[in-house]
Amino acid sequence: MLSKLKALWRTMTRPAKHISLGVLTLGGFLAGVIFWGGFNTALEASNTEEFCIGCHEMRDNVYVELQQTVHWSNHSGVRATCPDCHVPHNWTDKIARKMQASKELWGTIFGTIDTREKFLAKRLELATHEWDRLSANGSLECKNCHEYASMDWDAMSEVARTQMEQAAERDQSCIDCHKGIAHELPESMAAASGALAGLQRQATSRFNPGQQYFSIRQLPLFTDSALSQEAGILNSGSVITVVAQQGDALQVEIDGWRKTKGFGRVINEEFGQNIREVTLEKEVATDDSMIQGFEVQEDPLTGLPWQRVSFQLWMGKDDLVDDREILWQEASELYVKNCSTCHSQPEEAHFDTNTWPGMWAGMLSFVNLDGDTQELVLKYLQKHSSDYSDGHH
Amino acid sequence: MALSRRSFLKGILGSGGAAMVGPSLLAPLSAKAAEETWKISGSHWGAFRARIAGGTVVELKPYEFDQTPTEMLEGIKGIIYSSSRIRYPMVRYEWYKNRGKANPSTRGDNRFIRVTWDQALDLFYQELERVQTTYGPWALHAGQTGWRQTGQMHSCNNHMQRAVGMHGNYIRKVGDYSTGAGQTIMPYVTGSTEVYAQGTSWPLILENSKVIVLWATDLAKNLQVGWNCETHESFDYLKQLQAKVADGNIRVISIDPVKSKTQHLLNCEQQYVHPQTDVAMMLAMAHTLYSEELHDQDFLDTYTLGFEDFIPYVMGEGEDKIAKTPEWAAQICGVDAERIKELARLMAAERTQLIFGWGLQRQQHGEQPYWMGAILAAMLGQIGLPGGGVSYAHHYSSIGVPASGASAPGAFPLNPDRPEDRVHQNSDYQGYSSTIPVARWVDAILEPGKKIQYNGTTSTLPDIKMMVFSGNNPWHHHQDRNRMKRAFEKLETVVAIDFAWTATCRHADIVLPACTQFERNDIDVYGSYCVRGVIAMQKLVDPLYQSRTDFEIMTELCRRFDKHKQYTRGMDEMEWVASLYQECREANKDRYVMPEFKQFWQDGIVLFDGMNNYVHHAAFREDPEINPLGTPSGFIEIFSRKIASFGYDDCKGHPTWMEKAERSHGGPGSDKHPLWLQSCHPDYRLHSQMCESKPMRERYAVQGREPIYMSPQDAKQYGISDGDLVRVFNDRGQLLAGAVVSDNYPQGVVRIHEGAWYGPEDEKMGALDTYGDPNTVTLDLGSSKLAQATSANTCLVSIEKFQGTAPEVTAFGGPSEVAPT
Repeated sequence: MLSKLKALWRTMTRPAKHISLGVLTLGGFLAGVIFWGGFNTALEASNTEEFCIGCHEMRDNVYVELQQTVHWSNHSGVRATCPDCHVPHNWTDKIARKMQASKELWGTIFGTIDTREKFLAKRLELATHEWDRLSANGSLECKNCHEYASMDWDAMSEVARTQMEQAAERDQSCIDCHKGIAHELPESMAAASGALAGLQRQATSRFNPGQQYFSIRQLPLFTDSALSQEAGILNSGSVITVVAQQGDALQVEIDGWRKTKGFGRVINEEFGQNIREVTLEKEVATDDSMIQGFEVQEDPLTGLPWQRVSFQLWMGKDDLVDDREILWQEASELYVKNCSTCHSQPEEAHFDTNTWPGMWAGMLSFVNLDGDTQELVLKYLQKHSSDYSDGHH
Repeated sequence: MALSRRSFLKGILGSGGAAMVGPSLLAPLSAKAAEETWKISGSHWGAFRARIAGGTVVELKPYEFDQTPTEMLEGIKGIIYSSSRIRYPMVRYEWYKNRGKANPSTRGDNRFIRVTWDQALDLFYQELERVQTTYGPWALHAGQTGWRQTGQMHSCNNHMQRAVGMHGNYIRKVGDYSTGAGQTIMPYVTGSTEVYAQGTSWPLILENSKVIVLWATDLAKNLQVGWNCETHESFDYLKQLQAKVADGNIRVISIDPVKSKTQHLLNCEQQYVHPQTDVAMMLAMAHTLYSEELHDQDFLDTYTLGFEDFIPYVMGEGEDKIAKTPEWAAQICGVDAERIKELARLMAAERTQLIFGWGLQRQQHGEQPYWMGAILAAMLGQIGLPGGGVSYAHHYSSIGVPASGASAPGAFPLNPDRPEDRVHQNSDYQGYSSTIPVARWVDAILEPGKKIQYNGTTSTLPDIKMMVFSGNNPWHHHQDRNRMKRAFEKLETVVAIDFAWTATCRHADIVLPACTQFERNDIDVYGSYCVRGVIAMQKLVDPLYQSRTDFEIMTELCRRFDKHKQYTRGMDEMEWVASLYQECREANKDRYVMPEFKQFWQDGIVLFDGMNNYVHHAAFREDPEINPLGTPSGFIEIFSRKIASFGYDDCKGHPTWMEKAERSHGGPGSDKHPLWLQSCHPDYRLHSQMCESKPMRERYAVQGREPIYMSPQDAKQYGISDGDLVRVFNDRGQLLAGAVVSDNYPQGVVRIHEGAWYGPEDEKMGALDTYGDPNTVTLDLGSSKLAQATSANTCLVSIEKFQGTAPEVTAFGGPSEVAPT
């Protein structure tokens, strides 16, 4: 039995690794022809939730986790079960996936993940397989139910909409951002991707009222201490002053300036300088009880009136540092490295604060930075522009 | 002058095949005769497979993915095996003998002696050391960089600047010769350089546009080449556009003095306009839109600032009290007033995509047509809609091809890893600017200390004593050769690193032979903007003659000041290539599966299948407050208070029609030199790259000279026939070119493609250029105080049939080798 299993294991795993998809497809096709009767029935049987949770590894770990999520229980009564997300709906891919899945079968027979501890230790590896697969197919199984084209942008909060529209523009794979949506994340997973993950290790966990802290990446702001009502997004590299703490939440004060054209949703750090600090939801921005307004001044270079404002909101405790230099150092390295691929990078002080966004936007197509990182580097450049430098240039 | 001691060994000029290849290459040929392999590589001209037999590249064929390969691929063998290859390190004879006391007028006499690599690198190092210690960083300009050969690991700009930067600080440039005016003005107007930004995807343009205006852009000519390895996918869309034009689904109008290659390809309409007068025509279109209330006032109110400060100028209520009516413009631009109105009405009636090229901003006041183009688009109110609005780069490097969204490989680092890696820490520029506008360095050499206005600041031009060029040919891309010659006589030391004897090498003191990109292993992105994949650039043959990779050359330079370990980070060529690949693989891991490096190198390429459509400025249109533009106000700035605050007379607060220093068709200077010389990007080269490739050159040269294209009317008037040699001249210089008479050209317009190699008869001021470099006669003038960019397309010339015996072409084949005495 064991030798037969081993032989089967070899035959079935090797092609997935080393032979092209074409051969794989052909193999699947032949298998389909030969075993048309029994094979298809078995295949359908293995495509049910009961089959998946037939072994305790699945039932006791990921299945329990799924039951805590919106994919299990929601107001519309639609439920996604295991095969909806994990088995491709298209037949060829389905076969390919089944062949990969024989590895998990191997695991159950030989006990690699037979305890919770062993499962947790192996979770990152297992999850990575699944993320890779979803990345490769553009999150096809998600898109069987969720389509960018069918999304009602207006029904979303501005925070969600901003992020989602960026993703839709690039037809981004859902799993890029939505890891952990149906099961828990592997323990060591950082929430920020790529370049900024390193900064998170330097995040502070002690907060003193009255002291300033600085955001590593774009962070959600809330109107309540339960962090349930979204108020806006704090930009990367922005400054907040802690007012109070309550459990996992911080009450923070933000001071800045906004243009009076529009709803006043964009809060900038200083008068006349387009250094974005916060993007507010419209309801918050237009609520005089939440936003304290002060003097209005006209910016001579655009003719637009700017108003000084101050407001207090709530946010989580993650991804804040107590020294802005930590952020600038990382941003400086990212700038120098990414912007010297084709040419020598201009000195930070070569442009002024309000010229940098235009130059930055005009070159972004050439750099590989995610949204959080783009914002941080841009803010670094603006805060080190000719407006803040007295050096001869 | 030591003429008597001169002993020419041999001229390498005009050699035949066997002499060209040389003994060092012939020797291993027999030994390797039996071996034959295919390899894959990439280039500015696209990806290809090469058959190597007997250690020689014998055949190239386009990589299968490329559906529209350029015929320039056939010029690549001519680059590798050219008579112009630099075979060994050489030093200019007069400089070698006399150094600082060298007679300046000998520069350019093309007499060099051969030295060893060690001698050459010692000299290079000694000169860097001398300039840093005698003067300081303000005297060294190593910032002039250009189009380099492709390959992210061996990118020569990065190697040269990292190595020189590890020795000390130096002068840098800002901007470039291609887009200097555009990339400076547009951040004030639409908040992006535009010239290097992704544009609306072709499928959306094809689906939504009813009218496409190609304003001075020749897509089919320029899309043949790319900044990285070009995929040529844009041509698929041009073919679809061709079908839509034929079916009457889309109307394409090419506004251009010349019938372009694209116009012929699409078989679309042309609208002739006098050279350099586009702004007048656009102002009149704005006049029509406004007078006939065809402009989108809601769009202007919501998304723009300053329309009310601009429109009085158009309507004749501005300072000049001149209404910019179609009748007014017709006198200047040569387009019938009714036709101007008709075009404006058509654009307002239909979904219209405006697409501008770059040549338009390479003229005096080149900022204005770009700004005015954005205002026209704003008045039409279609910015941010698919198939509407304005674009400034659909001719460039796969812009508009739906992108994969994948990350591209990075590059060998350009900067020293840490500031303390620099031998000379001195960063005192003594009051000089450390960064200067790219096209103003010749001004700096001629007038050190001069203060010029630039983009709201004052630049103090440095007193440059030494220059280092790598894979960069300013003796092609800068304007006015004789003025350059005067400047170069003032330079103490010039170092050039290249694989071929460009005119820049001829005017240098130390010349170091790099190998071509086909003689090294490298990695590149396939498709600069669409990121269709990552391609292995497998070494085809070993470096020819004594040439070395830039990596090797600069490692050895750094060894001389004990920084070679920091320079290489302890990695060799393949380790670097593999690490760039690994970083790219890591960056893509959530999106695309990439094989292990070993597998990738064997496969030669990994392709990404994502095709993401994009609409330029759509986010801004949807919510201009949350997604503001990068302008000072966040809106489209029709009037820029910021630019107005600079107080420049040649770039005011809104687009303005201004007369040029010289202009054809009745403009200033046209009574003396009547013809407008257009020096746009070539059809058969990448700038000056590949000009030395004989098999390619033979396809277009006329009597061995660069073609000058002209109208039948002008040919007749000047007694010139197709195939004649023509002397082209003005008060700045003279050149020889070969006449091509063509209906594509209107009267008063001649074209010589830039990038033709400069080959003066001798080193004397005013010498006749024997091959036909248009920059021999172009004007060296800043576009305006805003951008200080090149004004190459502001140029008038006279022509005559060349009489007498034509001098031999001196541009190719390298120097006269002199024995050391």
